[in-house]
Amino acid sequence: MELTLNHFLILSAILFSIGLVGALTRRHIIIMLICLEIMLNAANLNLIAFWHFSPNPELMHGPLFTLFTIAIAATEAALGLALVLAIFRHYQTIDLEQIQGLKE
Amino acid sequence: MNLFDFSDSVGWLMWIPICPLIAGVVLALLKPSGKVSAMVAIAALTVSLGFSLKAFAGTWGHEAHTLTHNFTWIQIAGVNLEFGVVLNSLTGSMLAMVSFIGLLIFIYSASYMSQDERMGRFFCYLSIFMVGMLGLVVANSVLMLFMFWEIVGLASYLLIGFWFHKPSAAAAAKKAFITTRIGDLGFLIGLLWAFKATGTFLFFDGGVGILESSTIAALASNTNVLWGLNGAGVIAVFLFIGAVGKSGQLPLHVWLPDAMEGPTPVSALIHAATMVAAGVFLVARAFPLFLADTAALEIVIWIGGLTALFAALIAIAQYDIKRILAYSTVSQLGLMMVGLGAGGLAIQDGGVSIGMFHLLTHAFFKALLFLGAGSIIHGCGDEQDIRLMGGVFSKMKISSLAYLAGTIALCAFPFTSGYFSKDQILLSAWEANKTVFWISAFASLLTAFYMTRQCCYVFLGKYRGEGHVHESPPLMTVPLVILAVFALLLGYVSEHFYHVLDYLSGVHVHQHNSTVVIISWIIALGGISLGLLVYARAKMGIDDVDPVKRLMTTPYGWLENRLYADELYQLTAFKLWGALAKAISAIEGLIYIMVVVATAIVSMIGQFFSGTIDKKLIDQVSFDGTCKRIYESSQINAFIQNGFLQGYLRIVTAGAVVIGILFLLLAR
Amino acid sequence: MSIAFFMLAAVAVLGGVLAITLRNVIHAVFSVLLFFSAIAGLFLLLIAEFIAAVQILVYIGSVGILMLFAIMLTTKVMGDPTRTVRSRGWVWGGVAVAALLFGVLIPLITRAGNTAESSLSNFDPSVKELGLALMDPYFASVGVIALLLTAGLVGAVVAASSASETTDS
Repeated sequence: MELTLNHFLILSAILFSIGLVGALTRRHIIIMLICLEIMLNAANLNLIAFWHFSPNPELMHGPLFTLFTIAIAATEAALGLALVLAIFRHYQTIDLEQIQGLKE
Repeated sequence: MNLFDFSDSVGWLMWIPICPLIAGVVLALLKPSGKVSAMVAIAALTVSLGFSLKAFAGTWGHEAHTLTHNFTWIQIAGVNLEFGVVLNSLTGSMLAMVSFIGLLIFIYSASYMSQDERMGRFFCYLSIFMVGMLGLVVANSVLMLFMFWEIVGLASYLLIGFWFHKPSAAAAAKKAFITTRIGDLGFLIGLLWAFKATGTFLFFDGGVGILESSTIAALASNTNVLWGLNGAGVIAVFLFIGAVGKSGQLPLHVWLPDAMEGPTPVSALIHAATMVAAGVFLVARAFPLFLADTAALEIVIWIGGLTALFAALIAIAQYDIKRILAYSTVSQLGLMMVGLGAGGLAIQDGGVSIGMFHLLTHAFFKALLFLGAGSIIHGCGDEQDIRLMGGVFSKMKISSLAYLAGTIALCAFPFTSGYFSKDQILLSAWEANKTVFWISAFASLLTAFYMTRQCCYVFLGKYRGEGHVHESPPLMTVPLVILAVFALLLGYVSEHFYHVLDYLSGVHVHQHNSTVVIISWIIALGGISLGLLVYARAKMGIDDVDPVKRLMTTPYGWLENRLYADELYQLTAFKLWGALAKAISAIEGLIYIMVVVATAIVSMIGQFFSGTIDKKLIDQVSFDGTCKRIYESSQINAFIQNGFLQGYLRIVTAGAVVIGILFLLLAR
Repeated sequence: MSIAFFMLAAVAVLGGVLAITLRNVIHAVFSVLLFFSAIAGLFLLLIAEFIAAVQILVYIGSVGILMLFAIMLTTKVMGDPTRTVRSRGWVWGGVAVAALLFGVLIPLITRAGNTAESSLSNFDPSVKELGLALMDPYFASVGVIALLLTAGLVGAVVAASSASETTDS
């Protein structure tokens, strides 16, 4: 069985959905960040797959784009975890249900 | 582009905005002390002035020459976005004026702000302002012009709110920013429209730029594009909306008088001489577009004429010395617009010089008046109310004489600079549109009257304030004297200027009409004598009633309240906004109630089928039960607005999914 | 090739599912590391070797470790690292997203009919190509990303340290 673009796209969709379920339901703030990373990785997989099956891959657009996404994701992770620490120090909890400052 | 090629190319023009930029960055990063900051900013601007004078000298005598230097800024999807600089007589004289007056005001500020601990920051802001203003003048791309235009707007916001600890200053800064933004929206639409219609942002580009004759002809051949305007006229009108915002024309004039909350040198530099003139400059720059459609020119002269009259009327009844000058600025900007519009209607290509020359002379005498007012305010112990001044003349001879020189130039007293420039505006208006001519003439008469009133209040009689009046230091008076010389004598080179500024035709059409000359003499002399007649012997204390008020109490009251323009906006725009908010809130409430009821019904039905069918049923479905259901379902709905982070995330996701599905359905 | 794909796909899905279901946060982080490695394997499969290396270095090497540190720092005070936080709307969220996946995403993907064969057979993408592309046409973007990373790191330091000052005082 020959692999096609569809295989990768469907896998990527499934992984994205897994990440989305987690982000919407888990109340642990670090797990929420993990879920965001899962979704980003699924999107990266998409980009690389599209590049691999594109008519002119020698332009290297897929890896370039992915490289930038990874850089931004790394920044986001560092900043996100720093914010987790800040939130934790402020509220003394990482349960999202108890962090309801937005209500006021 | 080669910045170091000073011979034939004009790429070196970019140095003019770059010099203050360097100064601004240095001041922002190194934060030197106040005195050093002032020196750095002044030195950078001096270099700019040198380049500006080189540019000015290059255009003197080469009226119809337009030199450009374009370079590609970015490429997007096969479209080249080009930027560039342009040198023609319009650029040259505007550059020389802006950097020269700017330099004088910088020197003045070095003394005026010396007591302020945030002086370094002040000069940093001023430098940023000069970057925007000078860049705006040299720009050969409408997009580049817009970018510098916004830098100017930002600097203006920062400087008006420089004393942000005063609530009124902070509010005035916000008001200025938001009001000019309304105009900028028009400008943005205009420039995008121009790009769509012509495929370029450049003004001049070897025959294919927006302002070149073949493009204009192509645009104008497209008749009745919008509201009966042709293709060029539409762009012109949208650009004019931008100019209306920046130049404080009716109906967006409300921000300019409030902008006087900033330090006085700021008022002189930004809100009298340069920034507010940027709107007029934009109209002059895009003048070929206006010429292509007489309807656009008609809009310009009517807006200009009404603004001139409206602001001149209000100025009669103000007591704050800077506020009077602010309204006077609004009025004079209106006259410049009349000059451009009427010039375009009366003498076609040559019209651009009429409004532009008044811009130049006005810049000198209005900067002089503001700096003089600053000096007087300084001398009177930071008092701005003219009722608490008086008898200043004998105590502050240099400032007062300079101020009087500015006043007679503004009143268009014969053979001062204002006389030459205003005369031409009235002449063109006479040719173009008699109604607008009489409106402008009356506005000029009022100008002479309220300036005389102000001078009587300030200089005559005895000092009515507290404390001791003293003359300002030489660093402040020397710029005043230089400006006064220009304000009085600039008119004698008017013929040369008209020749130079006629960059479109290269030939200045000299207009002459003895009726108009006589009328303008009557206006100037009549306004001044009328003012002297009313005010020379009047009692002018804070408790005394103004003589004009005694004569016409009710109309004067309206004028004192600035003809209720702010209140009108309060009643219309703000109310409309409030009503909109209320309507949305009502719709939201309605949907909310519907959701609550629907949830209750669903829940009741569920109860009906699942619950045991006995007497309890009646209780459940009865009134009590219904209330309980509604209460419980409200709880479910209240859950949406609970500050729970993931709740919001879920709503966002649901929204994204809905948009995605809609997009797919529509795109199919 | 297809066997490798299905194995890696299974590992990735397993890692993802475990990461969002495991009660113990430490275990969840380890399973997400499994997920990251599977993605790196998929990148290798798609002949993007450099990206696979970056994936391992950045995600497994630093993001994962950062998460472990964050857990250690936030659970120190709370005591039990295995203390779990309940999830909420688990069933409904799963059903809604499954509906989205099987109702919208997968039908769309299959309908588009992307059955193109790989055209990479006659081309060997090397790191050199990537480097040349980064240094010539995308040089400005590299600069911007560098600036963003710096700003992000400074922001992270500020966010993490200013909060400690408020707790100290």
